[in-house]
Amino acid sequence: MSSRYGGYMGKVLKINLTTQEVSEYPFSDEERKLYIGGKMMAAKILGDHLKGTESPFSEENLLVITTGPLTGSGAPSSSRFNISTLSPQTGYITSSNCGGHFGYYLKKAGLDALVLTGRCEKPAWIEIQNEKVVFHDAEDIWGMKTSETQAALDDKLRMKNGRVRKNGKICIGPAGENLVLYSCIVSNERVSGRGGTGAVMGWMRLKAVCASGNREVPVHDKEKMVKHTQKWFRYLRKHPLTGNQLPKLGTAGLVSAMQMKHILSTKNYTYGQYDEFEKVSGEELAEKYNIVNKGCLTCPIRCARTVEVDGQQVKGPELETLVLLGSGILNSDLPSILRWNYELDELGMDTISCANTISYAMEANEKGLWDNGLQFSRTEELSRIFEDIAYRRGIGDELALGSRRLSEKYGGKEFAIHAKGMELAAYEPRKAVGLGLGYATSNRGGCHLNGGYLVILEGLGLSIDQTTYHGKADLTMLFQDLMEMISASGQCLFTSYAFFPTPLMNHPNAWYTKMINKVLPYCGAVVRLINKYPEIAHMHLPVFHHTKGFEYTTGMKMKFGDYIRCGERGYNLERQINRRFGVDADRDTLPGRLTRTLQDPKDPKSKVPLEKMKKVYYHARGWDRNGLPTERTLRKLKISSGVPSEVK
Amino acid sequence: MVQVKIYGVARLKAGVGTFTREASTADELLGMIPNITKKEAKDLVLLVNGKPAGRHTRLKDGDEVVLLAPAGGG
Repeated sequence: MSSRYGGYMGKVLKINLTTQEVSEYPFSDEERKLYIGGKMMAAKILGDHLKGTESPFSEENLLVITTGPLTGSGAPSSSRFNISTLSPQTGYITSSNCGGHFGYYLKKAGLDALVLTGRCEKPAWIEIQNEKVVFHDAEDIWGMKTSETQAALDDKLRMKNGRVRKNGKICIGPAGENLVLYSCIVSNERVSGRGGTGAVMGWMRLKAVCASGNREVPVHDKEKMVKHTQKWFRYLRKHPLTGNQLPKLGTAGLVSAMQMKHILSTKNYTYGQYDEFEKVSGEELAEKYNIVNKGCLTCPIRCARTVEVDGQQVKGPELETLVLLGSGILNSDLPSILRWNYELDELGMDTISCANTISYAMEANEKGLWDNGLQFSRTEELSRIFEDIAYRRGIGDELALGSRRLSEKYGGKEFAIHAKGMELAAYEPRKAVGLGLGYATSNRGGCHLNGGYLVILEGLGLSIDQTTYHGKADLTMLFQDLMEMISASGQCLFTSYAFFPTPLMNHPNAWYTKMINKVLPYCGAVVRLINKYPEIAHMHLPVFHHTKGFEYTTGMKMKFGDYIRCGERGYNLERQINRRFGVDADRDTLPGRLTRTLQDPKDPKSKVPLEKMKKVYYHARGWDRNGLPTERTLRKLKISSGVPSEVK
Repeated sequence: MVQVKIYGVARLKAGVGTFTREASTADELLGMIPNITKKEAKDLVLLVNGKPAGRHTRLKDGDEVVLLAPAGGG
C-alpha cells in the first residue's frame, strides 16, 4: 500500500514474533490524514486492538514503532521515532519518543512503522533491509549491555568489504531482559526512556531491531521544502533558546534557573531549592566536564553533551538525570552522576523513574517504613544498587517495581512521586502549578512534555505567576495538543521552544514582556477560544515553521489551527484508549505532598490546586466531570467511541 | 560590597560566575559585569536576595544579586 502524500513510505509491517509471520498492516491515507504518524499513528493502531482487558506482558499487547512524515525529510531535528505500547509501569498506553538514527533508517528501509506482536520462542533480533525482514538468533548477545550489544550487531552487519552497513538500531539491556518495569530501549546513545517499553521488548524476547536500506523519503514539494528548511535552520540557530542556551549548556543549563524559581526538586520533592545546586549545574558540567556537543541527524540544536567516564567518551546527563540523581537524593558529586548516567544507559533503565524510586526508598527508610539501608546523601553503593535492579537481585528486585508499587507495599503514598504509576520529571510543581496539572493529566503518567511543559511559561522562558491557577488549564491544553502534533510529525519537541518570539526571550525586562507575563494567566478565555475553534487560526504563524514544513513535505493542508486540532485528536484518542483500562478523573492525581503540603509554609499558594484546575481543564477539553471525552467531543474529532470489535 | 552571581549562558560570556562589586543601585551594577555590556546586562533577569528586582532597586552592603537569562528545554 503506497501513499499519495509525501513524507510517507506508504508501508507498515506487522511482525508476529511467535510465528515469525510478516504481513503488511493496512494503514490508509484517510487514516494518515487523521492520525499523521508517530505517537498518534501508534495510538490509532493500539486503539484498534486493545479492548481494556489486556496485560502489558501478554501476547495481546503490541509494541508499535512509528516514524512521522517529517522523519528523514531533512527538516530540522527530524530524525525522531516513537515507541508506544501498553505500559507495564502504568497499565495504560505509553509513548516514548527518541532521536538518534533509527527513525531515519527505518524509513530508508521503506517503512513508516512496525507493529510487533507475540513472543519469540527464544531470544531473537530482527534485521530489516529494504522492507525485507530476517529473524536472527540472539542467544549470543542476550545478557549484553546496550553498547556491547550494538557493537556486536555492527559486527554482524559487516559486508564482504569489511565495512559495516549503514544502519539504525534499537536494543534493550539486561534491565529489559529481566523485566524491570521502567527499563528503556536504547538507540545508539539516545534513549526511548519512559514508560517501560524496554520491559515489553524484553518480555517479547526481542533483543534488538536493525534497519537499513536505500529508499528515499518522498517530499511533496522539494524545492519549497529546501528553501523553507534553510530558513527554519537559520531561525533555530538565531533563537536564544535553540541557538544559544541549548547548544551551549544543554538541558542541564536549566538547573540554576530552576533553583532561582524554586522548582528544583530536592530530597524527593520535599523542597524546591538545593544549597549545593551549583556543583551539579549545567554551568559546572559545561565548564569542567563537557568535551563536545552532539546532536541527532539534521539537528541544529545539538543539545547532547559528551563527557569522559573511565577514559572513554560517553553521553553526558540530561537535566532530569542531573537533578534527580543530584538534588533529588542530596548528592552534589557531579562525577558520580556522569558515571551513573552511563551505567543506567548501559543497563537500559529510565534514569527518571529509577532515580525517583531510589529517592522514595531513601525517604521510606528515613521514616522507618522500610528498612532498606538507603540514605539521602549516602551514594557509595548506588552503582551496585543499579546493577541489582537490572539483574533483579536482593533489594534491587523490589526497586525494579517503581515507587507506586513500593508505596502500596510499604506505605508512604504521600511521597511516592508519580502520576498514574510513572514517576515525575525533575520540575517541582508546587511553584509551577500548571505543570502540576500537566503531570496529572498526561496520558502516559508523570511526564513534563506529554503534560504540556507549561513550566516554560512559569519561570523559565517567561515569568507568569507560578502559583496562580488562572489560565493554566487552557494553556495546558493548548501546549499539550501542540506538542502532541510536533511529536506525531516526527520532530523533536525542542523545536517548539522557538515558538516564543525572540524579543520576549532576549528582553525579559522589556515592557511588552512584562505585560505578557502579567496578562497571560488572565487570557484563559482567549486561549480557550483558540482551543475550541482552532479553525480561526487559519494561517501560518511566522514564529512557527512547522505547519509550512508539514505542508511542503506531505502535501496536506495544515494551517496552525489544523495543526492544533490534529494534536487534540491524538490527545483524546490516547485518553479514550486509557478509558478502557479504567482512566478517569480519579486517576488524574498527584501525590499528597504536592497537593496538600506547602512547599513554603509562609506561602499558602505553594501547592498544586489540582482539583480546581482539573475542573476547568475537563470543561475546556470537552470532557465530562469524570474526565472522560463526551460523545460530542469524540464526534467532533472523528474518534470512534467503541471498543474494537475485531482485530485488524 | 554586593555579591554578584551569574548563571546560564551569561556566565559563559562573562567568564566568571561569582564576584563582588561596590554599587548602590542595580542599574549601576549592570555596568560592572565583565565582558558584558550594560545594554546586554539590562536584558538579564535580575534577582536581589532571591526576589525579582528591577534596575532601580537599591542595593545595600551584603546583598546577593543574581543575573540569568530566560531558558527552556528539558
